[in-house]
Amino acid sequence: MAEAEGRRSQLLRGVLDICLLAVMGEGAAYGYEMTKRLRARGLSIVGEGSIYPLLGRLERDGLVETRRAASNGGPPRKYYSLSPEGERVLEAGKTEWQTTRDAVDGVLGLVKAEVMP
Amino acid sequence: MSEFVEECRREWRRLGVPDPIANEMAADLTADIEEAEAEGGSAEDVLGNSVFDPRRFAASWAGARGVTAPTLPDRPPMRRTVPAIALTAVAAFFALAAIALLIGRRGASAAVSVRGILGGPGSVRLFGPSPVSPAFRSFGFGPQFAGPLGWPFALLAVLILFAAMVALGLAALYWSRWSPWSRRGIQGMARGTGRTWWSKGSTR
Repeated sequence: MAEAEGRRSQLLRGVLDICLLAVMGEGAAYGYEMTKRLRARGLSIVGEGSIYPLLGRLERDGLVETRRAASNGGPPRKYYSLSPEGERVLEAGKTEWQTTRDAVDGVLGLVKAEVMP
Repeated sequence: MSEFVEECRREWRRLGVPDPIANEMAADLTADIEEAEAEGGSAEDVLGNSVFDPRRFAASWAGARGVTAPTLPDRPPMRRTVPAIALTAVAAFFALAAIALLIGRRGASAAVSVRGILGGPGSVRLFGPSPVSPAFRSFGFGPQFAGPLGWPFALLAVLILFAAMVALGLAALYWSRWSPWSRRGIQGMARGTGRTWWSKGSTR
Protein backbone atom coordinates (compact mmCIF):
# COMPACT_ATOMS: atom_id res chain seq x y z
CA MET A 1 0.00 0.00 0.00
CA ALA A 2 2.73 2.43 0.98
CA GLU A 3 4.67 1.43 -2.11
CA ALA A 4 1.70 2.25 -4.34
CA GLU A 5 1.23 5.61 -2.63
CA GLY A 6 4.89 6.40 -3.06
CA ARG A 7 4.76 5.65 -6.79
CA ARG A 8 1.58 7.64 -7.20
CA SER A 9 3.18 10.54 -5.41
CA GLN A 10 6.20 10.39 -7.70
CA LEU A 11 4.02 10.28 -10.80
CA LEU A 12 1.85 13.14 -9.64
CA ARG A 13 4.82 15.31 -8.76
CA GLY A 14 5.84 15.38 -12.38
CA VAL A 15 2.49 16.60 -13.70
CA LEU A 16 0.98 18.56 -10.82
CA ASP A 17 2.08 21.86 -12.33
CA ILE A 18 0.26 20.99 -15.56
CA CYS A 19 -2.80 19.98 -13.56
CA LEU A 20 -2.78 23.30 -11.73
CA LEU A 21 -2.46 25.20 -14.99
CA ALA A 22 -5.36 23.16 -16.34
CA VAL A 23 -7.72 24.00 -13.46
CA MET A 24 -6.68 27.63 -13.71
CA GLY A 25 -7.66 27.46 -17.37
CA GLU A 26 -11.25 26.93 -16.21
CA GLY A 27 -11.16 30.31 -14.56
CA ALA A 28 -9.15 32.33 -12.07
CA ALA A 29 -8.98 30.68 -8.66
CA TYR A 30 -7.33 31.10 -5.28
CA GLY A 31 -5.24 28.42 -3.61
CA TYR A 32 -7.84 26.37 -1.78
CA GLU A 33 -10.29 26.71 -4.66
CA MET A 34 -7.77 24.98 -6.91
CA THR A 35 -7.33 22.25 -4.34
CA LYS A 36 -11.08 21.66 -4.42
CA ARG A 37 -11.17 21.59 -8.21
CA LEU A 38 -8.42 18.98 -8.24
CA ARG A 39 -10.21 16.93 -5.62
CA ALA A 40 -13.46 17.08 -7.60
CA ARG A 41 -11.58 15.27 -10.37
CA GLY A 42 -10.25 12.63 -8.02
CA LEU A 43 -6.86 14.19 -7.46
CA SER A 44 -6.33 14.55 -3.74
CA ILE A 45 -3.21 16.33 -2.55
CA VAL A 46 -3.43 14.97 0.99
CA GLY A 47 -0.45 12.73 0.50
CA GLU A 48 1.40 15.06 -1.83
CA GLY A 49 1.88 18.15 0.27
CA SER A 50 0.68 21.61 -0.46
CA ILE A 51 0.19 23.34 -3.79
CA TYR A 52 1.43 26.70 -2.48
CA PRO A 53 5.13 26.22 -3.25
CA LEU A 54 4.18 25.08 -6.73
CA LEU A 55 1.97 28.13 -7.23
CA GLY A 56 4.90 30.26 -6.08
CA ARG A 57 7.16 28.70 -8.68
CA LEU A 58 4.57 29.14 -11.44
CA GLU A 59 4.24 32.78 -10.46
CA ARG A 60 7.99 33.30 -10.39
CA ASP A 61 8.32 31.69 -13.82
CA GLY A 62 5.66 33.98 -15.26
CA LEU A 63 3.24 31.18 -16.08
CA VAL A 64 0.44 32.69 -14.02
CA GLU A 65 -0.89 36.15 -13.36
CA THR A 66 -2.19 37.17 -9.97
CA ARG A 67 -4.60 39.72 -8.65
CA ARG A 68 -6.08 40.31 -5.24
CA ALA A 69 -9.86 40.43 -5.06
CA ALA A 70 -12.62 39.89 -2.55
CA SER A 71 -13.98 36.37 -2.35
CA ASN A 72 -17.59 35.45 -1.66
CA GLY A 73 -18.18 37.03 1.72
CA GLY A 74 -14.63 36.27 2.81
CA PRO A 75 -11.40 38.17 3.02
CA PRO A 76 -9.56 39.30 -0.12
CA ARG A 77 -7.84 36.40 -1.83
CA LYS A 78 -5.06 36.07 -4.30
CA TYR A 79 -6.48 34.82 -7.57
CA TYR A 80 -4.30 32.99 -10.04
CA SER A 81 -4.98 32.85 -13.77
CA LEU A 82 -3.09 31.63 -16.79
CA SER A 83 -0.66 33.97 -18.49
CA PRO A 84 -0.06 33.62 -22.24
CA GLU A 85 3.16 31.79 -21.46
CA GLY A 86 1.24 29.56 -19.06
CA GLU A 87 -1.25 28.67 -21.79
CA ARG A 88 1.62 27.69 -24.08
CA VAL A 89 3.24 25.57 -21.38
CA LEU A 90 -0.12 23.93 -20.61
CA GLU A 91 -0.63 22.89 -24.22
CA ALA A 92 2.92 21.57 -24.45
CA GLY A 93 2.43 19.73 -21.15
CA LYS A 94 -0.75 18.03 -22.37
CA THR A 95 1.04 16.79 -25.46
CA GLU A 96 3.98 15.51 -23.42
CA TRP A 97 1.64 13.74 -21.02
CA GLN A 98 -0.32 12.04 -23.76
CA THR A 99 2.85 10.94 -25.50
CA THR A 100 4.33 9.58 -22.30
CA ARG A 101 1.08 7.92 -21.23
CA ASP A 102 0.69 6.18 -24.60
CA ALA A 103 4.25 4.96 -24.50
CA VAL A 104 3.93 3.62 -20.96
CA ASP A 105 0.60 2.01 -21.79
CA GLY A 106 2.28 0.29 -24.73
CA VAL A 107 5.07 -1.02 -22.53
CA LEU A 108 2.70 -2.21 -19.85
CA GLY A 109 0.46 -3.92 -22.43
CA LEU A 110 -2.58 -1.81 -21.67
CA VAL A 111 -2.94 -0.96 -25.36
CA LYS A 112 -2.82 -3.80 -27.84
CA ALA A 113 -0.54 -3.11 -30.74
CA GLU A 114 -2.28 -3.06 -34.02
CA VAL A 115 -1.18 -6.00 -36.16
CA MET A 116 -1.23 -5.53 -39.86
CA PRO A 117 -2.91 -8.47 -41.67
CA MET B 1 -4.24 26.46 13.40
CA SER B 2 -2.99 30.00 13.97
CA GLU B 3 -0.03 28.29 15.60
CA PHE B 4 0.81 26.79 12.20
CA VAL B 5 0.70 30.23 10.57
CA GLU B 6 2.73 31.73 13.40
CA GLU B 7 5.35 29.04 12.97
CA CYS B 8 5.47 29.88 9.26
CA ARG B 9 5.89 33.56 10.11
CA ARG B 10 8.83 32.79 12.37
CA GLU B 11 10.47 30.79 9.62
CA TRP B 12 9.93 33.53 7.05
CA ARG B 13 11.41 36.06 9.46
CA ARG B 14 14.40 33.82 9.96
CA LEU B 15 14.84 33.49 6.20
CA GLY B 16 14.67 37.25 5.69
CA VAL B 17 11.40 37.31 3.78
CA PRO B 18 10.25 40.96 3.60
CA ASP B 19 7.32 41.69 5.92
CA PRO B 20 4.76 42.70 3.25
CA ILE B 21 5.29 39.43 1.40
CA ALA B 22 5.18 37.38 4.60
CA ASN B 23 1.96 39.13 5.60
CA GLU B 24 0.41 38.38 2.24
CA MET B 25 1.30 34.68 2.40
CA ALA B 26 0.08 34.41 5.98
CA ALA B 27 -3.24 36.08 5.08
CA ASP B 28 -3.81 33.72 2.12
CA LEU B 29 -2.96 30.72 4.22
CA THR B 30 -5.22 31.78 7.08
CA ALA B 31 -8.16 32.46 4.76
CA ASP B 32 -7.82 29.08 3.01
CA ILE B 33 -7.56 27.16 6.27
CA GLU B 34 -10.53 28.97 7.76
CA GLU B 35 -12.59 28.21 4.66
CA ALA B 36 -11.70 24.53 4.84
CA GLU B 37 -12.61 24.39 8.53
CA ALA B 38 -15.87 26.23 7.89
CA GLU B 39 -16.76 23.54 5.34
CA GLY B 40 -16.19 20.86 7.94
CA GLY B 41 -12.72 19.98 6.76
CA SER B 42 -9.34 20.48 8.32
CA ALA B 43 -6.07 22.20 7.62
CA GLU B 44 -4.82 18.96 6.14
CA ASP B 45 -7.30 19.41 3.29
CA VAL B 46 -5.47 22.61 2.41
CA LEU B 47 -1.92 21.71 3.25
CA GLY B 48 -1.72 17.98 2.69
CA ASN B 49 1.00 16.33 4.71
CA SER B 50 2.79 19.68 5.01
CA VAL B 51 0.56 20.37 7.98
CA PHE B 52 2.96 18.31 10.08
CA ASP B 53 6.04 20.37 9.21
CA PRO B 54 5.29 24.11 9.12
CA ARG B 55 8.90 25.22 8.95
CA ARG B 56 9.68 23.08 5.96
CA PHE B 57 6.46 24.18 4.30
CA ALA B 58 7.22 27.86 4.91
CA ALA B 59 10.77 27.54 3.63
CA SER B 60 9.62 25.65 0.56
CA TRP B 61 6.97 28.24 -0.30
CA ALA B 62 9.25 31.22 0.20
CA GLY B 63 12.04 29.52 -1.72
CA ALA B 64 9.73 28.75 -4.63
CA ARG B 65 8.66 32.36 -4.79
CA GLY B 66 12.25 33.51 -4.61
CA VAL B 67 11.69 35.88 -1.70
CA THR B 68 14.24 34.59 0.78
CA ALA B 69 17.40 36.52 1.52
CA PRO B 70 20.39 35.03 -0.25
CA THR B 71 22.73 32.99 1.87
CA LEU B 72 26.02 34.74 2.14
CA PRO B 73 28.99 32.48 1.49
CA ASP B 74 30.48 30.86 4.57
CA ARG B 75 33.89 31.44 3.16
CA PRO B 76 34.54 34.84 1.66
CA PRO B 77 35.68 34.69 -1.94
CA MET B 78 39.38 35.15 -2.54
CA ARG B 79 38.70 38.40 -4.40
CA ARG B 80 37.35 39.92 -1.17
CA THR B 81 39.76 38.19 1.17
CA VAL B 82 42.91 39.67 -0.37
CA PRO B 83 42.22 43.28 0.63
CA ALA B 84 41.21 42.20 4.12
CA ILE B 85 44.43 40.23 4.58
CA ALA B 86 46.50 43.07 3.10
CA LEU B 87 44.91 45.62 5.42
CA THR B 88 45.47 43.37 8.42
CA ALA B 89 49.12 42.93 7.46
CA VAL B 90 49.59 46.68 6.98
CA ALA B 91 47.91 47.37 10.31
CA ALA B 92 50.12 44.85 12.06
CA PHE B 93 53.25 46.26 10.41
CA PHE B 94 52.46 49.85 11.37
CA ALA B 95 51.47 48.88 14.88
CA LEU B 96 54.68 46.94 15.43
CA ALA B 97 56.75 49.75 13.93
CA ALA B 98 55.12 52.34 16.14
CA ILE B 99 55.48 50.22 19.26
CA ALA B 100 59.11 49.49 18.44
CA LEU B 101 59.82 53.18 17.97
CA LEU B 102 58.10 54.22 21.16
CA ILE B 103 59.60 51.46 23.27
CA GLY B 104 62.97 51.99 21.65
CA ARG B 105 62.92 55.68 22.48
CA ARG B 106 61.85 54.97 26.01
CA GLY B 107 64.65 52.44 26.44
CA ALA B 108 67.24 54.72 24.91
CA SER B 109 66.02 57.59 27.01
CA ALA B 110 66.22 55.51 30.16
CA ALA B 111 69.73 54.28 29.32
CA VAL B 112 71.03 57.77 28.67
CA SER B 113 69.35 59.01 31.83
CA VAL B 114 71.13 56.42 33.91
CA ARG B 115 74.39 57.51 32.43
CA GLY B 116 73.44 61.09 33.24
CA ILE B 117 72.80 60.17 36.87
CA LEU B 118 76.08 58.37 37.06
CA GLY B 119 77.79 61.44 35.64
CA GLY B 120 78.99 59.88 32.39
CA PRO B 121 80.66 62.37 30.10
CA GLY B 122 78.48 63.83 27.41
CA SER B 123 75.50 61.77 28.33
CA VAL B 124 73.28 64.68 29.17
CA ARG B 125 74.25 66.42 25.93
CA LEU B 126 72.67 63.58 24.04
CA PHE B 127 69.32 64.83 25.27
CA GLY B 128 70.17 68.35 24.35
CA PRO B 129 69.56 71.25 26.65
CA SER B 130 66.78 70.17 28.89
CA PRO B 131 65.71 71.62 32.19
CA VAL B 132 64.34 68.25 33.28
CA SER B 133 66.42 66.37 35.77
CA PRO B 134 67.88 63.01 34.63
CA ALA B 135 65.89 61.14 37.28
CA PHE B 136 62.64 62.59 36.04
CA ARG B 137 63.59 61.75 32.46
CA SER B 138 63.89 58.11 33.43
CA PHE B 139 60.29 57.80 34.53
CA GLY B 140 58.35 60.64 32.98
CA PHE B 141 56.64 60.40 29.62
CA GLY B 142 57.19 63.82 28.09
CA PRO B 143 60.91 64.15 28.42
CA GLN B 144 61.53 60.65 27.09
CA PHE B 145 60.57 61.84 23.61
CA ALA B 146 63.21 64.45 23.71
CA GLY B 147 65.82 61.99 22.54
CA PRO B 148 68.67 62.30 20.11
CA LEU B 149 66.35 62.97 17.16
CA GLY B 150 63.96 65.18 19.12
CA TRP B 151 60.23 65.65 18.77
CA PRO B 152 59.93 64.92 15.02
CA PHE B 153 60.98 61.39 15.80
CA ALA B 154 58.26 60.97 18.40
CA LEU B 155 55.75 62.60 16.10
CA LEU B 156 56.62 60.08 13.40
CA ALA B 157 55.96 57.25 15.85
CA VAL B 158 52.58 58.69 16.74
CA LEU B 159 51.66 59.11 13.07
CA ILE B 160 52.63 55.52 12.34
CA LEU B 161 50.53 54.42 15.28
CA PHE B 162 47.61 56.41 13.93
CA ALA B 163 48.05 54.79 10.50
CA ALA B 164 48.06 51.40 12.21
CA MET B 165 44.80 52.17 13.95
CA VAL B 166 43.17 53.31 10.67
CA ALA B 167 44.35 50.18 8.85
CA LEU B 168 43.15 48.03 11.74
CA GLY B 169 39.73 49.66 11.63
CA LEU B 170 39.41 49.08 7.87
CA ALA B 171 40.55 45.48 8.26
CA ALA B 172 37.96 44.92 11.01
CA LEU B 173 35.31 46.41 8.71
CA TYR B 174 36.26 44.02 5.92
CA TRP B 175 36.28 40.94 8.16
CA SER B 176 33.01 41.88 9.87
CA ARG B 177 31.18 41.68 6.54
CA TRP B 178 31.21 37.91 6.86
CA SER B 179 30.28 37.75 10.50
CA PRO B 180 26.88 36.33 11.60
CA TRP B 181 26.10 39.70 13.14
CA SER B 182 26.59 41.35 9.79
CA ARG B 183 24.23 38.89 8.08
CA ARG B 184 21.49 39.56 10.59
CA GLY B 185 22.02 43.25 10.13
CA ILE B 186 21.60 43.05 6.37
CA GLN B 187 18.47 40.95 6.67
CA GLY B 188 17.06 43.25 9.31
CA MET B 189 17.60 46.23 7.07
CA ALA B 190 15.88 44.44 4.22
CA ARG B 191 12.85 43.78 6.44
CA GLY B 192 12.77 47.36 7.57
CA THR B 193 12.34 48.65 4.03
CA GLY B 194 9.89 45.95 3.07
CA ARG B 195 12.11 45.08 0.16
CA THR B 196 15.06 42.86 -0.38
CA TRP B 197 18.37 44.70 -0.50
CA TRP B 198 19.67 42.57 -3.33
CA SER B 199 16.75 43.30 -5.63
CA LYS B 200 14.91 46.53 -5.02
CA GLY B 201 12.19 45.67 -7.50
CA SER B 202 11.29 42.37 -5.91
CA THR B 203 8.02 42.56 -4.07
CA ARG B 204 6.67 39.18 -5.00
